This record gives sequence, structure tokens and C-alpha cells, in this order.
Amino acid sequence: MSYSVLNTKKIIDVVKYRWVWLTLSFILLLPGFIAMIWSMKVYPTHSPLLVGIDFTGGTIIQYSLNEDVSTQKIGEIRTKLLAKDIENPVIQVLKPVASDSESAIKNILSIRTQFSETGQNESIDKVSEIITADYPDAQIVQVSSVGPVLGKQLFVNSMIAVALALLGIVIYLTLRFHLEFALVAFFALFHDVLFVIGVFSILGLLYGVHIDSLFVTAILTVLGFSVHDTIVVFDRIRENLKFYSKKASYDDIVNASVNQTLARSINTSLTTLITLGALYFFGGVTTKDFVLVMILGIAIGTYSSIFFASTLVALWNDISIAKKAKAVN
Amino acid sequence: MKNKIIMFWAIVILTIISIAIIKIKPIPLGLDLVGGSRIVLEAQTTENISKITQDMMDGLKTALENRVNALGVSETMVQQMGDRRLLIEIPNVSDPKLAREFLGETAELEFKKPILDENGNTVGWESSGLSGEDLSKAAVGTDSAGRWLITLEFNNKGAAKFAKLTREFKGYPIAIYFNGESISEPVVQQEITAGHAQITGDFTHDGAKKIVDFLNAGALPVPAKIIEENTVGPTLGADSLDKSKFAGIVGLGAVMLFMVFWYRVPGLIADIALIIYSLIVFAIFKMIPVTLTLAGIAGFILSIGMAVDANILIFERTKEELKSGRTLFTAINAGFDRAFTSIFDSNMSTIITCAILYFLGSNIVKGFALTLAIGVMVSMFSAITVTKNFMHLMFGTGQLKHPALFGLKESDINEAYEATETKREKAKFGVLD
Repeated sequence: MSYSVLNTKKIIDVVKYRWVWLTLSFILLLPGFIAMIWSMKVYPTHSPLLVGIDFTGGTIIQYSLNEDVSTQKIGEIRTKLLAKDIENPVIQVLKPVASDSESAIKNILSIRTQFSETGQNESIDKVSEIITADYPDAQIVQVSSVGPVLGKQLFVNSMIAVALALLGIVIYLTLRFHLEFALVAFFALFHDVLFVIGVFSILGLLYGVHIDSLFVTAILTVLGFSVHDTIVVFDRIRENLKFYSKKASYDDIVNASVNQTLARSINTSLTTLITLGALYFFGGVTTKDFVLVMILGIAIGTYSSIFFASTLVALWNDISIAKKAKAVN
Repeated sequence: MKNKIIMFWAIVILTIISIAIIKIKPIPLGLDLVGGSRIVLEAQTTENISKITQDMMDGLKTALENRVNALGVSETMVQQMGDRRLLIEIPNVSDPKLAREFLGETAELEFKKPILDENGNTVGWESSGLSGEDLSKAAVGTDSAGRWLITLEFNNKGAAKFAKLTREFKGYPIAIYFNGESISEPVVQQEITAGHAQITGDFTHDGAKKIVDFLNAGALPVPAKIIEENTVGPTLGADSLDKSKFAGIVGLGAVMLFMVFWYRVPGLIADIALIIYSLIVFAIFKMIPVTLTLAGIAGFILSIGMAVDANILIFERTKEELKSGRTLFTAINAGFDRAFTSIFDSNMSTIITCAILYFLGSNIVKGFALTLAIGVMVSMFSAITVTKNFMHLMFGTGQLKHPALFGLKESDINEAYEATETKREKAKFGVLD
């Protein structure tokens, strides 16, 4: 048995079942999409995601605690903070990964409030007073605050960065492949980013997960990774087209290319997911969401390079053939 | 073959140099790992100052450097960002509140003269023109009763102004304002020409010391406001560092196991290449030097994933070529050559994203982009040159006698080569150098 496009073992038929795969993509994206629209209706900011202090401005004070905090206790703390004129406090308890070392922190109590232009020190003192009254061993482990003007700038800059990165990738792919491949890759990227944003929109609604500038970094990394996967498949299609375009149909070439790169796609994602998994489960609490974005992005990126991008390439070709046929008739 | 042996020794030497660099140079750690404050101040326009000039920013920077130095911690940094912002980094700060207080205040000292009514009573205060700028030195002292006071020493211009003020208002009170608040209102006993003055008030030692530090550091030429702050306590920093290290080791170990399990001997070679890769990357980090932050570590760990990706691409391709019946030597060469375009294109797209992140991103993002970009570039070398060299030295030429070394079964391999191959390719993959 020879190993070429003409008789590659077909594990997955992307062309034949393309409507199945496209529907599956649609089903994957739908919940996130609904969550985004819902969020835009519900949130006062009308944003599809819960936006953190990096982009809106605000202050987060985090305390280390040795004991657990009950939900009831959180309510009490909120009441006390409100009584002291701390505006819109949002209280969360973060649980770092358990570790045996003595320096390990058991619980982190995170309090998010408005950015105070003048009385920053005073409002931090007020919060600390309330916390240490209940938890004498509480210590400030982190204070982050961002002014609202700067927040807006960071947001605009981040959006520009994402747009430029997408543009850069599309231009590069157009130069190295064809415009149609570049456009399909762009759709695949869009598909992946939409999925990740959708999941975070859901997480925002359910658990109050906010996005920050690290989130945007993670999204950009996902873009890089996801285009990696897509390029590998496209590269194989390009190569097979060179050698077999006369012997095999376009659909067969696409199918064979996907199947030939399948082991690589899965293994690469697996190794990257292993490192990310280690970071997620054993790494610091501050990078957890960042790593989660990448885990989601890489998983969906692998999916989209196999099932979405290649399906679109085949579909695009079918449509252009049909158009040509029409033109001839 | 000779070239390959030379290359092998070049790789060995490079590795030794990298280890030496890692041993000698310490790696600077970011504030999120050691703990410390990172503060961004923005110069503010006022009624009198309608435009912030570069001169003002320079003055502001000097004044802030003086203040930060007065905190008594090492390795502080004050750096201008953009037109009107300053970034201040203070590592190991024990009291972030102190830093915050210290940086935000303008520290304006002003001597005010009384506004007198017709009976000679003081009804208000107005500026006398004598201010903190006329000082040459301030110090904390005590009076005969042991109370804390502040001694001031004026420069020549200040001494003349002070003499004039004390001559004019002998027998009347003058007021000393600090940051817009009156801290003392002594009555002038006599004209003072020596250029010295004392401020007595209800000072604690710390209170007096704070004002003295401010006065010595100089007032800010423009008011500045804290617009961003990030303070990480030393415990959280140490915690994050420990955990990231551990996660890195676990991640790397698991990936290496996976590679050996799936690709057998080539996997082992890839693992060795991966270790060399890590050493080179760290040596480069130390040479630049890259300040290692949490995001930076994440970028590095991610680049490990990409370095492994290159080897997976190559090995999968080599396996395919072996399956289709190529000889070992040509299969390895074809695997590298054909996987190269994928590796190059995908790494280029990552580098494009990194470049954009580096130039547009915030400081955290910059660190991430830099480590990832360095990692990806080094991986092009390690995953291609190093692995290829080791593969050739290990397997030599000829047929693959034990397919299990590549994780293949005997039955997977075809008798004769069946894939289509151009003449050019035959020449490219099959010739020994």
C-alpha cells in the first residue's frame, strides 16, 4: 500500500460531512454568542464581556488570609464597606493552588472598587480597617489601580493591537499563499476568537470573571497559535496541489492533506496543552485566567484548522467552480 | 560527514557558553516576582501651567528620583513614558502607602506674609515670594526642651528674601505653608540675615522627617497625579515565582516524556535539543538582559510548546517518508526540508504578532512578547539545526533496520519508494554532503 494523496487513510472526511462540521462550529459558538448579546443588554457598560479595571479604571486590593471566607461573610463585608462610602465594592475569594511550602498563601480576598483621584490612600486605609477588624492576620498582597483615562487608552491600544495583528497575519498569508487561503485563515481566526470571547462572556455572567490586558495578550497568542495550525494544513494542501492536482480532485486533496497532518495537529496541541495544563494547575493564581484563555484558544484552534478552515477551503473551491460553470453556460 | 561532526562540536561549545553565562549573570526579576510597587504618574496642567514641556518633565523626573532615593531602597527606577508620564518602579518596598504618599504630593513650601487691617491685626495671608525653591537644605533638629523642629538653610537669594521679609514684618506673625496647609505661624522677633530659620510646630519625629525629605528632594515643578499603581507584596511574589518554576518543570518534564513515548529515539533527540534550547534562551535572556516577569515566564513556556511543535512536524513527516519507502537518510532530510515551510510560515506569523504586541502593548505585554519572540527564533535553530545534526549522527545512512526506533511497525513500511518526486528533490534529499 502506498502512502500518497490517492489513498491516504481517511480518518476524517472533512469534505463529505462539511455541513455537519459547519453546524458543529455553529453549535459551539452559539452559547457564547447568546451570552455576549445578553451581556450587552444587562451590563451598564453595554459590553459583551465583563471588563476589568485595566480598561475601565478602578482599584483592586488583595489580602492574604489563613482562613476560609463564607458567602455570608462576604455579604457582611460588603455591607460594612458600603457603610464606609466605598463605592460599588466587588468582593471575591481566590483560591491559590495548595502547596506545602510555608510561604504559600491559603486564600486571597480581593476587593474591587472605584478609582479615587484624590483619596486613594484614605480609601485603601478604610478597606484595610474593615478587613483587619474581622481578620487580624490579613495582609495586603497586591494593590492595583488604574485611572479611568488611562484605562480607556489601554483599551483602545489593545483593540488596535488585535486589529493590526490580524491584518499582519492576513497580509503575510496573502504573500505566502493565495488571498483566498488568507481570507479563510482570517475566518478561522475569527471563529476561534469568537469562541474564546464567548466562553469568557459566559464565565463573566456566571462567575464574574473580568477581562484585563493579559486577556488581550492571551487572545493575540491564540491568534498566533491558531494560524500556526491552519498554516500547517494549508501548507500541505499547497504541496499536494503541486504534485497531484492532475491526478486527484480538489476535495480529495483537501481531505488527504487534513488526514496527513492530523497526527501532527493533535500531537502539537497536546504538548502545548500539557505545558499550559501544568501552568494552570500548578502556576500562580495571577496567571490562571490568562492560561485558561490559551487552553481554550488552542483547543478550538486545532478544531478549526481541521474542521473549519479546510472545510471552507473546499467549499470556496466548489463555489468558484460552480460560478465558472455558470459563466460558461 | 565531516561537516556534521564540526557542527556537533559547535553545538556543544554553544551549550557550554550558555551554561557559563547562566552561571555568571543573575537574571533580573520583575516586580510581580520579587514584590514592589510600580507607579505611573501623570503631570497635570493647572491654571498657571497650560502646557507640559520637556523641561518640566525633566524637573519632575529629578525631583521624583530624589524622593524615591530618600526611601532608601536600591534598584529603583524612574523613567519617562510618552509626553507627560513617568513610570516609577520601587522593588522590595515595605510600605506601599509611604511610596504612594511620597510621590503624589507636590511638596510646596511657602512663606506667607500677613494681610493687616488698619489696627495692625492679621486678617489673612498672602504670598511673600519666598518658597521651597529658595532653600539649600532642610534638617530635623530639636530645641532645648527636646521638641522636634525643622531647621532651614536658605540659599543667597532666599537669605535676602528672608531678611527683607523679617525686616518688614518685625513684631508681626508670618505663616509657613506646606502643601497649602499652615504648619506654623511664628511671630518675627528680629530681622534675620544669616539665612537660617527654624520651624517649630507640633511635630512628631516622623512628621518632621517627612517634610524634611520632601523639602530636600525639591518640590515638583508641576503637580503630578498617580494614574496607575500596581503593588505586589513580597509573599505573593515569592509564591508566584515558586509556583511558576514548579509548573515550568512539570510542563517540560511531561512534554519530554510524551515525545519519547510517541517518537522513541527521535523523541529523545528532540528532548536533548529542547534542553539545549532552554539553556540558549536563558543565556540570551541574561545577556540582553530581559527582566523576567510572570507574563514573561508564560511566554517562555509557550515557546517551549512551539519548539516542540517544529520537531513534531519534522518527525511526523519523516515517519511518512519512511512509510512510503524512502531510505533513512533521505527520509530524515525530506522530513526536515518539507516541514520547514510550515515551521517558517507559522513562526513568522507568531513573530509578527509579537512585534505588534511589543510596540503597542503595555509593559506586562511587552515582556511576554519579547520572551516569546526570542524563544521562537531560537527554536528555529534548535529544532532544525540541532535535531537534524543529532539525527544524522545517530542514524547515519542506509536502511532503517529497526522501525520500532521511530515508533513504527514493520508492516507500516513499504518496500520501494512510491511517492512522486521531482529530479531536483532526489538530488536534494539523497546526496551525502
